Amino acid sequence: MNYAMIAYIVGAVLRIEGVLLLGPCAAALYYSENVGWYYLCVAAFCELCGWLLVMLRPKDQVFYLKEGCVATALSWLALSFFGGLPMYISGQIPHFIDAMFESASGFTTTGATVCQSVEALAKSTLLWRSMTHWIGGMGILVFLLAIVPLSGGSNMNIMRAESPGPSVGKLVPKVRHTARILYLIYIGLTILEIILLIAGGMSLFDSVNHSMATAGTGGFGVRNDSIASYTPYLQWVITVFMIAFGVNFNAYYFILFRQFRKAFSMEEVRNYILIILASIFFVFLSIRSIYGVSDGLRHAAFQVGSIISTTGFTTADFDAWPQVARTILVLLMFIGSCAGSTGGGLKVSRVTIAVKTVKKELAAYLHPKSIKKIRFEGKPVEHEVVRSINVYFITFLILFTGSVLLVSINGYDLETNLTAVAATINNVGPGLAKVGPTVNFGHFSIFTKCVLIFDMIAGRLELFPLLMLFHPAIWKEVCRRRK
Amino acid sequence: MSVRSDKQGMKIIIIGAGNVGSTLVEQLAHEGHDITIVDIVARKIQAITDNYDVMGIVGNGASYSLLMEAGIEKADLLIAVTESDELNLLCCTVAKRVGRCAAIARVRMPDYSKEVQYLQEQLKLALVINPEMETAKEAARILAMPTALDVMAFAHGQAELIKIAIPEGNRIAGMTLAEIGKKLPVSALVCAVERNGEVYIPSGSFRLEGGDTLTFAASRRNIRTFMDTFGFKSRRVRDTLIVGGSKAAYYLAQELIHSGVEVKIIEQSRERCDELSVLLPKAIIINGDGTEEGLLKEEGIERADSFVPLTGIDEVNIILTLYARKISQAKVITKINRMNFKSVVNSLELGSVIYPRYVTAEAIIAYVRARYESRSNSIETLYHLFDQRVEAIEFRVEEASEVTDIPLRDLKRKDELLIACINRDGHIIIPSGDDCIRVGDTVMIVTKHLGFRSLTEILK
Repeated sequence: MNYAMIAYIVGAVLRIEGVLLLGPCAAALYYSENVGWYYLCVAAFCELCGWLLVMLRPKDQVFYLKEGCVATALSWLALSFFGGLPMYISGQIPHFIDAMFESASGFTTTGATVCQSVEALAKSTLLWRSMTHWIGGMGILVFLLAIVPLSGGSNMNIMRAESPGPSVGKLVPKVRHTARILYLIYIGLTILEIILLIAGGMSLFDSVNHSMATAGTGGFGVRNDSIASYTPYLQWVITVFMIAFGVNFNAYYFILFRQFRKAFSMEEVRNYILIILASIFFVFLSIRSIYGVSDGLRHAAFQVGSIISTTGFTTADFDAWPQVARTILVLLMFIGSCAGSTGGGLKVSRVTIAVKTVKKELAAYLHPKSIKKIRFEGKPVEHEVVRSINVYFITFLILFTGSVLLVSINGYDLETNLTAVAATINNVGPGLAKVGPTVNFGHFSIFTKCVLIFDMIAGRLELFPLLMLFHPAIWKEVCRRRK
Repeated sequence: MSVRSDKQGMKIIIIGAGNVGSTLVEQLAHEGHDITIVDIVARKIQAITDNYDVMGIVGNGASYSLLMEAGIEKADLLIAVTESDELNLLCCTVAKRVGRCAAIARVRMPDYSKEVQYLQEQLKLALVINPEMETAKEAARILAMPTALDVMAFAHGQAELIKIAIPEGNRIAGMTLAEIGKKLPVSALVCAVERNGEVYIPSGSFRLEGGDTLTFAASRRNIRTFMDTFGFKSRRVRDTLIVGGSKAAYYLAQELIHSGVEVKIIEQSRERCDELSVLLPKAIIINGDGTEEGLLKEEGIERADSFVPLTGIDEVNIILTLYARKISQAKVITKINRMNFKSVVNSLELGSVIYPRYVTAEAIIAYVRARYESRSNSIETLYHLFDQRVEAIEFRVEEASEVTDIPLRDLKRKDELLIACINRDGHIIIPSGDDCIRVGDTVMIVTKHLGFRSLTEILK
């Protein structure tokens, strides 16, 4: 294990976070809020820690997949810790674990909050919460790759550890250029949304916050009722952008280079859109009697887009909706967005391939000696990919059920426990019952919150990088070196 | 030793992820180019994209749609190095039709190798490479100068870079380079010295020691004088025993027979023996297992002047070399195709070692670097010396620049760099401070700065 290199990467991430923490400082200066000082202190501290780690510039820059995974997992833990620190010491969120929960929820783009009233928070804290979404959405290590030249081909191992999806491809031969293109698309779409929201009469502060939260498919709002009190136009804009940020970014790359046919023939994107349209239709049917046609359609589209892209904004209390609508929304949490987007969940591509394996298995019963390769995006899927997807589902299931069991110690009903875990592990945000859209996660015990923090980070990093930290082999060499 | 630059690299598509393909990926990615590698076997692509920052595509490189996917329209260069010559040529043909890129093909069958000129012109290929033939040529050069560990030709073979080891107690040990210069009746220049694993680009006051390995440049004629003056044998070999009847063995035998060396080839397969006997009527072809001690002794390995194991298996080649060094005085050349354990191989003291994959890569890198630089200059030859720690590059000077027509002593040159020799209309000059570089010359420089693309980079 190349520990020096891992420390170097974590250090570089902390330095970037230190710079980003100046964002809320600027907001505090503008709105003359005292909490800005705390952000400034943490920024300096973060920069110092990062600088110390970067000082150990490793001679040997080679690292393999295991180092990539460990560096990613540790970076995210460090990121969440330092991100929560200013909220805690400034007293905005009085309890330490609560601050960590809020920060982890931000960076993993979950959007589950512990705050009773977000309107009571300082503007700088609100901005920081939205910024964590934006950074966490595309991934801070991808950002790192875009700006820091790391030698060798091994930097693909970082990209693989942080980017969502069963197989991570590149758009162009170099990781660095790929990362840059992704960020350019990301920034472009975010700015476009800000402009459209301002055009609809939203204030600059609100539109910047909402755009960053939408871009990262996060879900932290600036009002207690999330998006409900904004005009229908603004709600529709946010709906469209939520869905757009759940699309595989490769599609935008193709559109950017005028390869429209390639972009629209992406099987994953097509399935994603189909699932959304079908879900909106059925949810609409079930809630039409409550809201009427135009409002019903808007609410249905907004909630479906919000849940499948794992954003978690709300315009209506869907916990009070009929059972069909509630169930559809919970199922959408698990499907999630496309691979290579900023969203969470199991990913449409994984679900698509999994469904195809079932179909293949049925065919194998009919014709036991038949040989058939599963195809996805027009290409045969390697056995290795299918196997890793199956293992992913199993691991997800184990983690999910284990978490539900641990959360149940808290004593709440099954619906709360199930949806709380589902909403965090899939990085959605709101669940049902006691974690529904109108309530928050503040009432859970400290232990439960720790479990949920773990679920959020595990879900964002696609399980394995975080689980790797628990493999004894990773730490063996540290112990051995000490002796 | 990073040679990255901020400039955008060239867009290069490499088809075939075999031995040569992966070496090219390694070296070209290191020089900062945008590389897409194509192979039909997914496993190979996976292995390469795991280790290098390149894009991989699985599929048939000769297909139009795959080339489009690989971005042939915007590519600068396509290199086809698959197993099959025909496929390589087809890849290049398709690529030339679709894109505007230059194309390089590997063609190594003897049937085509005679028609390389024709193929290159008709298909408008930038380069046709034949690693087997290059390997054979290098081996033949070494056999012509058996004391040398390595012989690298430049200036169209007019001059050579010779690598020799100085034995303890040799006359040259203990002399400074300035003294050597005085003692020599002809001009030659010591370009690089390796001592205890360190490489030096020496100045005149550098004192040689026994156990050093040095590389010097001289015109072909003067090399023998250099060797004789300092008591190195310079007699060429009279006979050669080759194990394995591969393509490289065929090319080597052909070269050697051409220069009057007796050649004996031991080959296991009966059919291949038949083919070889038709192709090489003057050689002695022996059908048998070249790894059998009895057979080697019977065929006179103990008395042979030189011995070249050219089997397809590196381990066998190394064992045969070690065996030959033990029981005979023969000059031995070892061919190592795939093995990466260079430090181990070096410590075995095998003597002359040839790595065919690097031989090919050097030719292509020379081409790529010259093309990459927009100014009109070209790299004629490029060699990596001492495990790629030193580069020897021959530039053709095509137009006047900051370095031309100025006496060399007035040029502010970088450290660790030597202008080893200048070729002016076929006349080899080992330059002193008074000489200057003129338009039309080719100039060989030896340097520890890697990645030079144009001659002007020698300036500070």
